[in-house]
Amino acid sequence: MAEDKPTVNPSVILREEFDDWAVLFDPDTAEGYALNPVGVLIWKLLDGSRTLNDVVGAVKDNCEEVPPEVTDHCREFIGELVKQGLAGYEVNK
Amino acid sequence: MTEAAAGGGRERMRVMRTPKSVDIDITDRCNLRCRYCYFYTSPADVKDLPQEEWLRFFDELNRCAVTTVCLAGGEPFIREDLQDILAGVVRNRMRYSILSNGTLINDDIVSYIASTRRCDYVQVSIDGSIPITHDSFRGQGSFFRAVEGIRCLQRNKVPVAVRVTIHRQNVHDLENIAKLLLEDIGLPSFSTNSAGYMGLCQKNTEQVQLSTEDRHLAMTTLLKLIEKYGERISATAGPLAEARGWREMEEARRRGLESLPGRGCLVGCGCTFDKIAVRADGVIVPCNMLSHIELGRINVDSLASIWLNHASMWKIRERRSIPLSRFEFCRGCEYINYCTGNCPALAYSLLGEVDHPSPDACLRKYLAEGGKLTEEVEG
Repeated sequence: MAEDKPTVNPSVILREEFDDWAVLFDPDTAEGYALNPVGVLIWKLLDGSRTLNDVVGAVKDNCEEVPPEVTDHCREFIGELVKQGLAGYEVNK
Repeated sequence: MTEAAAGGGRERMRVMRTPKSVDIDITDRCNLRCRYCYFYTSPADVKDLPQEEWLRFFDELNRCAVTTVCLAGGEPFIREDLQDILAGVVRNRMRYSILSNGTLINDDIVSYIASTRRCDYVQVSIDGSIPITHDSFRGQGSFFRAVEGIRCLQRNKVPVAVRVTIHRQNVHDLENIAKLLLEDIGLPSFSTNSAGYMGLCQKNTEQVQLSTEDRHLAMTTLLKLIEKYGERISATAGPLAEARGWREMEEARRRGLESLPGRGCLVGCGCTFDKIAVRADGVIVPCNMLSHIELGRINVDSLASIWLNHASMWKIRERRSIPLSRFEFCRGCEYINYCTGNCPALAYSLLGEVDHPSPDACLRKYLAEGGKLTEEVEG
């Protein structure tokens, strides 16, 4: 299902700043959102081709000391991105 | 400073990978010739680039994740293709602001600006409460047209900012200007500055620039207006900023503080840590008031590379580590550990040196010339 494969809002800018931290800037609202390095990793994976499980797998592959609740954390994070209009799900895919 | 020396700074200073915003002189042309305009006769006074060059550059800004551009000039609204240029800004995921004299603003372009929903503000210059004051240095008829420009922006719900440049002809009009802007026109706020020794002002300094007495009057009046209007009046330079900054410095001296945090070096400007500028001819410069320092050219040189690697960018950033005690100008000054050294562009225009404190906002010099601090400090 398309709902399983989130994608970033193409209008939103990822500004990578210092030490792998970054800011998401939504030019339509002028709001900025800080991302930690794991958030940056997930953001870059949201291209509409990966499911939540794919994202979780990539986090496990690329990060150290991944907590057992990683799936819940990723779901919450992506849900928050969607809620803020920073990501969404492609329709009619 | 050599490349190697600049590189030492790079290790110590944290700088973003790309600039967050870019100030762009989108045109060299202007319908006015204000007598204190910093732009004309400066190295920024050059020929315009065609639209295609700007649109290509905006693509690069998108790749660099630049979030905002500030379009100035010249007068941006003089460009017949301004709408196409703004469309290029929006298409490349950026927000924008425009600095204007207000006189060429009309409903057609403003309704387009409103439709983009990406405009942070259009800043209009208003220097008087009545035509004779405003027009004294800007030209006959400019007051009514600028006010109509503001009304047009308000009508179309585009955020309006107003900048009041204080000079000899309007320093007695500040209370009326505040009333006009905040009460009659109903703006949420406005900012102030004063005419600086740059561009055309260098030729007209006797007519334009504030005397020591004028400066004290401006500071006193603005602080009184702050009591009435609060933070609706602001400044990052000029008499209001000086009144506050100098009060803080005098307070520190009276209390015998060793220093104020982050002061005592040439820290007066932090612009080159988050933004860069481009002249109307496409030459990249550190700041549109330091337009003689040419760093490269748009669509030829990489903006990101200039930002991270150009020795001149690092030299300006490294100013922050140059102690004021190094300068003869500051020797023996009891405010030295509370001072920022002020604006590098004014230091350059007054003395021909960027790496020098600016005499323009020097508290010791102001007092030596008979200037007085505001009453709260003198108390």
